[in-house]
Amino acid sequence: MISSTSEIILSIEDLHASVEDQEILHGVNLIVKEGEIHAIMGRNGSGKSTLSKVIAGHPSYKVLSGSIQFKGKDILELEPEERARIGIFLGFQYPVEIPGVSNLEFLRVATNSRRKELLKSELDTFEFEDLVNERLKIVEMDPGFLERSVNEGFSGGEKKRNEILQMALLEPVISILDETDSGLDIDALRIVASGINRLSQPNSATILITHYQRLLNEITPDFVHIMADGKIIKTGNRELAIDLEKSGYDFLDKTTKEKEVTK
Amino acid sequence: MTQTNTVEEIVSQPYKYGFITEIETEKIPKGLNEDVIRLISAKKNEPEFLLKFRLRAYEQWLKMKEPNWSNLTYSKVDYQDLVYYAAPKQDIKKKSLDEVDPKLLDTFEKLGIPLSEQKRLSNVAVDAVFDSVSIATTYKEKLAEHGVIFCSISEAINEYPDLIEKYMGTVVPINDNFFAALNSAVFSDGSFVYIPKGVECPMELSSYFRINSGDTGQFERTLIIAEESSSVSYLEGCTAPMFDTNTLHAAVVELVALDNASIKYSTVQNWYAGNEEGVGGIYNFVTKRGECRGKKSKISWSQVETGSAITWKYPSCVLQGDNSIGEFYSIALTNNCQKADTGTKMIHIGKNTKSKIVSKGISAGQSKNSYRGLVSIGPNAEGSRNYSQCDSMLIGDKASANTYPYIQSKQPQSNIEHEASTCRISEDQLFYLQSRGIDFEESVSMLVSGFCSDVFNELPMEFASEADKLLALKLEGSVG
Amino acid sequence: MKSSTICKEWLDSLPTPEGYLKNEQSIGREFLLEKGMPSKKDEAWRLSNFKKLNSFLSLPTLIDSEDVQFIFPEKDENRERIIINPNKNPILDINLPNGIEKLNNREIEDNIGTIVKSTNIKNDISVCLNQASSSELLALKIKRNFNQSLEIVIPSIEGKSISTRIFLLLEEGAKLDLLQIFTGNKNSAQNHLTEIKLESKVELIHGLISFGEEKESSSICTLAVEQSEKSKYSLHSIHHGWDYARFEPRIIQSEGEASTIIKGLQVTKSKEQIATHSLIRFEGPNGKLDQLQKAVASEYSHCIFNGSIEVPQKAQKTEAAQLSRNLLLSKRARIDTKPELEIVADDVRCTHGATVSQLQDEELFYLLSRGIDNKHANSLLLKGYYDEVISHFPKSAGKWNFIEKLIQDIKK
Repeated sequence: MISSTSEIILSIEDLHASVEDQEILHGVNLIVKEGEIHAIMGRNGSGKSTLSKVIAGHPSYKVLSGSIQFKGKDILELEPEERARIGIFLGFQYPVEIPGVSNLEFLRVATNSRRKELLKSELDTFEFEDLVNERLKIVEMDPGFLERSVNEGFSGGEKKRNEILQMALLEPVISILDETDSGLDIDALRIVASGINRLSQPNSATILITHYQRLLNEITPDFVHIMADGKIIKTGNRELAIDLEKSGYDFLDKTTKEKEVTK
Repeated sequence: MTQTNTVEEIVSQPYKYGFITEIETEKIPKGLNEDVIRLISAKKNEPEFLLKFRLRAYEQWLKMKEPNWSNLTYSKVDYQDLVYYAAPKQDIKKKSLDEVDPKLLDTFEKLGIPLSEQKRLSNVAVDAVFDSVSIATTYKEKLAEHGVIFCSISEAINEYPDLIEKYMGTVVPINDNFFAALNSAVFSDGSFVYIPKGVECPMELSSYFRINSGDTGQFERTLIIAEESSSVSYLEGCTAPMFDTNTLHAAVVELVALDNASIKYSTVQNWYAGNEEGVGGIYNFVTKRGECRGKKSKISWSQVETGSAITWKYPSCVLQGDNSIGEFYSIALTNNCQKADTGTKMIHIGKNTKSKIVSKGISAGQSKNSYRGLVSIGPNAEGSRNYSQCDSMLIGDKASANTYPYIQSKQPQSNIEHEASTCRISEDQLFYLQSRGIDFEESVSMLVSGFCSDVFNELPMEFASEADKLLALKLEGSVG
Repeated sequence: MKSSTICKEWLDSLPTPEGYLKNEQSIGREFLLEKGMPSKKDEAWRLSNFKKLNSFLSLPTLIDSEDVQFIFPEKDENRERIIINPNKNPILDINLPNGIEKLNNREIEDNIGTIVKSTNIKNDISVCLNQASSSELLALKIKRNFNQSLEIVIPSIEGKSISTRIFLLLEEGAKLDLLQIFTGNKNSAQNHLTEIKLESKVELIHGLISFGEEKESSSICTLAVEQSEKSKYSLHSIHHGWDYARFEPRIIQSEGEASTIIKGLQVTKSKEQIATHSLIRFEGPNGKLDQLQKAVASEYSHCIFNGSIEVPQKAQKTEAAQLSRNLLLSKRARIDTKPELEIVADDVRCTHGATVSQLQDEELFYLLSRGIDNKHANSLLLKGYYDEVISHFPKSAGKWNFIEKLIQDIKK
């Protein structure tokens, strides 16, 4: 599926970013091409989540230097909603509860704003209901969740499924899934993972941000990156994740120390 | 905080109903005295008892002081500089809509309230009040078939004097407060509703109030009586042109619900709020009260308050009948220099009475938005319960949100629960919506609507969307 | 008699202003003379029992210097005790432990009234009543090296009205465990004003036990606290057994960045009226407040709570929570509660709540179904209800038997 002629979707160069005046990312480089699945692993606080928020354009995060290009175009000046419309999707680690706002209405407005960008017709209430009912099957979600407020009172697993449902509706070009596996039991993990697998397209790409490698048993990544201290310090294939699982993050310390020594 | 600034911009929307209708108006000279009251009464051909009612109220009013206890400061009203009666010049006894000045019909059509046979709203009967008089009431005949009386209060005074004499001033006594006394003395028009025993009113009833003259005080009076086992849903809407002076609006609304009767009273208030610097706008000093006189009766107030320079309003329920129910659902949105002091009083007198209060205040700009409410459980109100929830949302760091709940209980076999919270539009929620491609304005609007959804759910179907639109209108950016 | 006449007569009965508080006395008296006593129209006093307030003023103020003996429980080893015997000049009499110093006259002059001013209560009637009549002041500086607990006892005197005043300055970084005890007496009245200044990084745990016990005892107590940044103040108060009591804690976080905890309990029976009027104001960002006020009213009594929280524009990121929980145990008793929020800052988290109810039937039934009789079951539940406040008092406070007193009431 991957070939050297594949188009580059996302290209991040020497990205430095901060939150609350504290620099978290110290020069991240990453290139993601069509059809690829990348996994980014690392300890808590290594900067994984920050990277995902920066790509999606969270206003609390400031880009200090470097660039993020989406299909060759700089996106740093784009508002979060503009990034979403061109096909950048962030699956939240902690999806926000929004009491009072109907989930169905929210999904419809979001879907239509993406469709508008794709020059597709907007869906009316009935058409949208047909679409959403079909996509619900991918995440094996009860239609009852549509009637509720956005994520309000959802269990951890339900929230994550709602995220994947949004991904299914928005049909993004690149999906960045931030710890989508955390807090899921085995069944929920399988459902979520199979949803992600079913949704991946030859012309789209996925970045899985994860702490554990168990998600990677369900979804096979083409690349595994390890982040530490705001940088990608090691890139490899699936084997790297398995090594990591075996020896824990400690082995990283060794390698980094070795590196420092060699320096 | 650029984010907040933009949210503020979104909330600041120009007033869309600020136009003035050019129409010849009959006004009486400015000022208030006994002769003016006699003149108003004479113009309306009122029976003797009503003139006496007015004069008694005037006498009381002279003895009363303007209240100053609420969290409001405003330039004092000069009561001698107001016109107490203004009416578009036309034949008062109009038989059909064809005889109503087309300019007036146009005015209401522009406001989204078409009155003509072809265009009028289906399943909603409308009483349109322009300045001091009611100019038309739709669906009268259809309602009459069910025995429902829906007409202007002036008409009711002449045609159903017994009902007026029996009920007017019994819920809000003439000396209840300064503005109620003033209203009782000079009220011009308003709506009257009577639902006979056992009748479920077949359609929504609605009054639409329009202030057109700048120097005229608007003093309308509404009386709704729901006989045993009857029910009605009523909605009032209000707008006014933009003047740079303040116009006084001091209405009185009285509701009476007898055994098993139920009244739902909804208000969408969008009087002119004044400009950004706080010049002009309506002073909205209103007394609204409902009495659940009968067993198992129910009165439910819902209000969406977006207009007026100053609002001072506490729609209340006196829960006299055993097992009666009172409800109050409110959304108050203030911006710029608006001040709103609003809430409710739930007076539990009968046994097993229940009340529920849900109040949502949104304050932006330098506005002041206060919830003030009283829950009182009397010594005989065994088994009574109240639940109150007051939430405030602040937009920008100059707006203020205050909560003053007075809670009082003299009955141990009762339960009162009050909860209040304050928040702002959460950055995380905003980002979440935006990251799904929903633009900023729509996201803000969605969050504000979501914040208010508990109250929207209580509005009559036909008007929930109107109210939502009204909020969205105030929240919409330059797009529209 | 009209309350204005009573007030005037009371003022006339006071000795002419003299001593180092002369100036304060004059200010208070002038204000009262001009403003007079409050009426039902004053929002802060509208629920007050004016008959009781008037009889508060009609007791003769103590001027003789006859020594009165009190019997108090033995003092705790680690707890320094100061008894404010209103007949004596308290400043002259006490030996102070290491780490506590009296303020000298200069310091008194510099500090007195400053907290009253910063908490914006200098025109409060309760404060003016105290100012007008207090002739002595206990003014202490708690230094950083003070490592004991402090107990201040303020007794009442039969048939008399007394006025006492305290000023505490806690120096930067000081830690203090303070227990303040107020006791009533037959036909007595006491008016008290405490001003406390917490400099930065001060931690003060303040227990306040106020019990009237005897018939016709009344108390008006104002507590003005100013907290500097990074200070922690927790107030745990109990008011019980007064025929008429009014407690007014006024706390200001003058720079924000501080934390305040308040747990208050008031219990009334027979025809008593006890009121708490609290006000907490944040004058800077990142302040925190956690307030719980409990009240229990039985028989013919009346409990009042009025709690204001003010969050002005400069107090961004304030987190304040206030909860008023009330038990109404009799048909003739009455509860009034009014938790108020005034907020101008947008980035804040403020909540308040209030409940009024009786003891929960289900809980009661559960106990009864286990064979516990009604009285016991009720007292067990009440004890549980009190516990949220009581459990915060230091163990040594137990010597004052206040828990027993609270429980005894229930058994009746």
